Amino acid sequence: MKTRLSDSLLHVVLAVWALLVTLPLAWAVLSSLKTDAEIFASPWSLPASPQWGNWVRAWQEAHIGRYLLNTLIVVGGALVLVMLLGALTAYCLARYDFPGSRIIYFGLVAGMLFPVFLALVPLFFVVDQLGLLGTYHGLILVYAAYALPFTVFLLHAFFRGLPTATAEAAFIDGCSHAGVFFRVMLPMARPGMVSVGIFNFLGLWNQYLLPLVLNPDPDRYVLAQGLAALAVSQGYRSDFSGLFAGLVIAILPVLAAYVLFQRQIRAGLTAGAVR
Amino acid sequence: MRHGRYRFLIGALAPPLLLYGVFVVSPYAQAFYLALTDWDGLSAEARIVGLANFADLWSDPLFLAALRNNGILLLIVPTAVIALALFFAACLTLGGGTKRRGVRGSGLYRIVYFFPQLLSVAILGVLFQFVYTPGDGLLNGLLGAVGLDSLERAWLADPATALPAVTAVMIWSAVGFYVVLFTAAMESVPTDVVEAAVLDGAGRFTVFRRITLPLVGDSVQTAFVYLGILALDGFALVQIMTVGPGGPDNATEVVGLTLYRAAFTYGEFGYASAMGVTLFFITLTLTALALRATRRERVELA
Amino acid sequence: MDVRSSRRALLQLSTMAGASAVLSGCVTAGGDGPAEQATGAVTDDNPLGVPDGADLEVVVFDGGFGSEYTQHAVTLYEERHPGAAVTHEGLQKVGEVLQPRFVSGEPPDVVDNTGAGRLDIAALAAAGQLTDLADLLDAPSLDDPAVRVRDLLLPGVVEDGTLDGTAGFLNYSYVVWGIWYSRSLFEQHGWTAPATWDDMLALCGEIKAAGIAPWTWQGKYPEYMMDPLQSLAAKTGGLDLVYAIDNLEPDAWRQDGVLAAAEAVHALVTGGHILEGSEGLSHTEAQNAWCTGQAAFIPCGSWIEGEQQGVTPEGFDMAMAPVPALTAADALPYGAVQGSSSESFLVPAQALNPRGGLEYLRCLFSTEVARGFAESAKAMPVVKGATDGLDLSPGLASVAAALDAAGANVFGYKYRTWYPELAVEVDTATGELLAGRADPDTWADRIQAAADAVAADDSVVKYER
Repeated sequence: MKTRLSDSLLHVVLAVWALLVTLPLAWAVLSSLKTDAEIFASPWSLPASPQWGNWVRAWQEAHIGRYLLNTLIVVGGALVLVMLLGALTAYCLARYDFPGSRIIYFGLVAGMLFPVFLALVPLFFVVDQLGLLGTYHGLILVYAAYALPFTVFLLHAFFRGLPTATAEAAFIDGCSHAGVFFRVMLPMARPGMVSVGIFNFLGLWNQYLLPLVLNPDPDRYVLAQGLAALAVSQGYRSDFSGLFAGLVIAILPVLAAYVLFQRQIRAGLTAGAVR
Repeated sequence: MRHGRYRFLIGALAPPLLLYGVFVVSPYAQAFYLALTDWDGLSAEARIVGLANFADLWSDPLFLAALRNNGILLLIVPTAVIALALFFAACLTLGGGTKRRGVRGSGLYRIVYFFPQLLSVAILGVLFQFVYTPGDGLLNGLLGAVGLDSLERAWLADPATALPAVTAVMIWSAVGFYVVLFTAAMESVPTDVVEAAVLDGAGRFTVFRRITLPLVGDSVQTAFVYLGILALDGFALVQIMTVGPGGPDNATEVVGLTLYRAAFTYGEFGYASAMGVTLFFITLTLTALALRATRRERVELA
Repeated sequence: MDVRSSRRALLQLSTMAGASAVLSGCVTAGGDGPAEQATGAVTDDNPLGVPDGADLEVVVFDGGFGSEYTQHAVTLYEERHPGAAVTHEGLQKVGEVLQPRFVSGEPPDVVDNTGAGRLDIAALAAAGQLTDLADLLDAPSLDDPAVRVRDLLLPGVVEDGTLDGTAGFLNYSYVVWGIWYSRSLFEQHGWTAPATWDDMLALCGEIKAAGIAPWTWQGKYPEYMMDPLQSLAAKTGGLDLVYAIDNLEPDAWRQDGVLAAAEAVHALVTGGHILEGSEGLSHTEAQNAWCTGQAAFIPCGSWIEGEQQGVTPEGFDMAMAPVPALTAADALPYGAVQGSSSESFLVPAQALNPRGGLEYLRCLFSTEVARGFAESAKAMPVVKGATDGLDLSPGLASVAAALDAAGANVFGYKYRTWYPELAVEVDTATGELLAGRADPDTWADRIQAAADAVAADDSVVKYER
């Protein structure tokens, strides 16, 4: 009986937080279907008739669809690149002892701590000199470079924790160093890779400052830029409902992807957490 | 074992280090150099002024206000997020008795709790600006609906509530991710260990404190570092949400905003770089301290 | 945001010269120097010598005025130069996108440098980044070959865009600041826009009695309320007061007129005449509160009608009144208004097709495009007579009337553009004043301290008027 009682209490607490989390989102969805006048009349009133036009407007005039595609290209490319390079780096630093390995490790990890916008203007020159300004691959390279510290930081610990026996056996069987990494260690590290990949996906997806400066071409805007532009232009045009619709359209795909893959994501996190 | 070792190391490390060197290290190195100059972004040459920029920082009320606010965020955000996340994670995994893992519906909670993590900072800022709208905003509307009219206020316009309002958004958005992370860690505790403890007469709380908590230690440590970095930033939220921004009366000024303004509004590029460098060293020191303080023997469950 | 908040966000430009001097030896070396700029044959049809088939890139600020009028000019340009491929791009944060392009020597051919995060125009000029517009000003206008472009513009427009004796940019719109109200609401209640501040306070009492908040304001950006305050001050003390402030003179912010103006505005706070929570509203939120009848007055510049276009209720009939007179002995008459031209178009010196850029501006500053601008953007263009015979929207008509009535009595402050550090402190202090957390004396002391600090700071370039 005691368990039952405290369980209901737990449920109340858990449900309150769930409500707190969903309310603003539900409210955004609701507002995206109202007229501007209805939004200002009352935050919770239902729309007289759902204004799907808001969504159409956000989709067509604010090009949310194109931004979504750009974001997927850039984030996808950067994710593959940073996971590959990050895993290689972390593996080498964690499993090989060589002069300078600690310096490289701390040099990489220190990159996590620096306020990014300080590097922005010099970074612009670097990217421009390389002719990469406003290109997908330029953005992918920069995204990957800035995600590298965090990736190495987490994967380093992960590779440290992997048992050594399998790798040694592979070496004895005549496997090359690269072979050991790709055929033995990387598969063993898969759970950790997934969890770090999730961290990175979320981080890259939310990237705002880097594209702002390095991606000036509106045709190649990523979602965060597109939304900011929408929010700013809302400030000039007073199109609140269109802004909410844009927000919702931007949120939905990620939300849907999460709900679909949440089992795998959680499994990845489980593995990452256990190390 | 020796064969091809260095060839592999060089081949493996050269591309990432090249990438890192070109896009991360060199811009930062240039920023470090700028911090020692009086470059205003306009004049043909920059004068080396040594450490004068750093000396000026300590008499700049705006920078000091920003440091104070980031300090408050740093004290509150990681602690609150981790405490809440541990609590919810414990509820989700330990509730429901020892037979079942977790309370009924824990799967759904875990899905829902993660939602805020999926919103980018730009979305968060815009959304919560409306939540805090004076008069008929979401928050005031809710307070009115439950009869707490007296608590309704212009949240972001009052120096007493503006920073707490921003802090709340940070916490709101971060908790879910760590709930999922900690839940995952807690579920890695083998059932037989828990059952043995319960057989020995340990209550839920004891199980949590003695068995679960030590096992999520590593995750907590990672969370502290990650959340600390988050708390030292806050730029985007403050820039989008607050009065001024940074107001009212500098109540929500953060270092990122001071730096951004110094560089891009006043053209004091050298001075702004000095702020960034200072922030860098503060972050570095705090991280080192935090890692040292939370370092402990890893619990092995072999 | 809008013209106002933009002033806060002057983005300092790192010029190629500055950047490369500092950064050479690092990875970067700035631009590759100006590319070759072509010039075509000068004919009657092509007075500016636009090279044949040269492409044109136009980057405009896509703000409250929209981009219909800049598109309109593109159409005219394309008609005149069929071989040219014209790209037209509307942006909100012009500076963030264009600063790098200026620095690297690859700017577009025409820039509308406006809005939050625009580039610092004085810095651009000092860095030699602007094409001298003299050729354009002396070219025959599109309307009438006998009339030069220069003579088609309202008085003051060329001067506004002249920096160190060179015409560096041309503003497209004339902005006037005042206090806005709904004519229909006022007629319904039998109210009239007050001519003196005492009348204002009396009317506020009446409005409150009718169950409406007398005032609201864009609290998140306190400079909106600074405008009525500094207009009151200017009217009381005249241009001497304005110049003293702009020239950072000692105790300029403690002049009687300034303090009296702060007292006057503060009386709205102590009288409870401001819509509750206004200090936390963004400009759109406050303006919507006003549009939905929650408040009677709101301070704003003349762009408000365009900004509120989508949400203004039918029959709202918005109108602008000048800021009331503060004392009987005011130095400037009641009709005096704060005004300036804005929406700055320029041709970068390093553009690939600067002659095309000038030609584009010749199309833009034509009566045809300007008329379209008045209609679509509901704002005053700077082209003479462009609004003649047009059926103006209610707000724009009231602005045109106010400008007419003001005659020569149009004033403006410069401290905001000259000393952004001071402007930030002015806004913070004004926010505190309007939230009721500071009294006028504290307000003045705080701003004076900031002004003194700027005056004493050798690293800040000083201007004088």
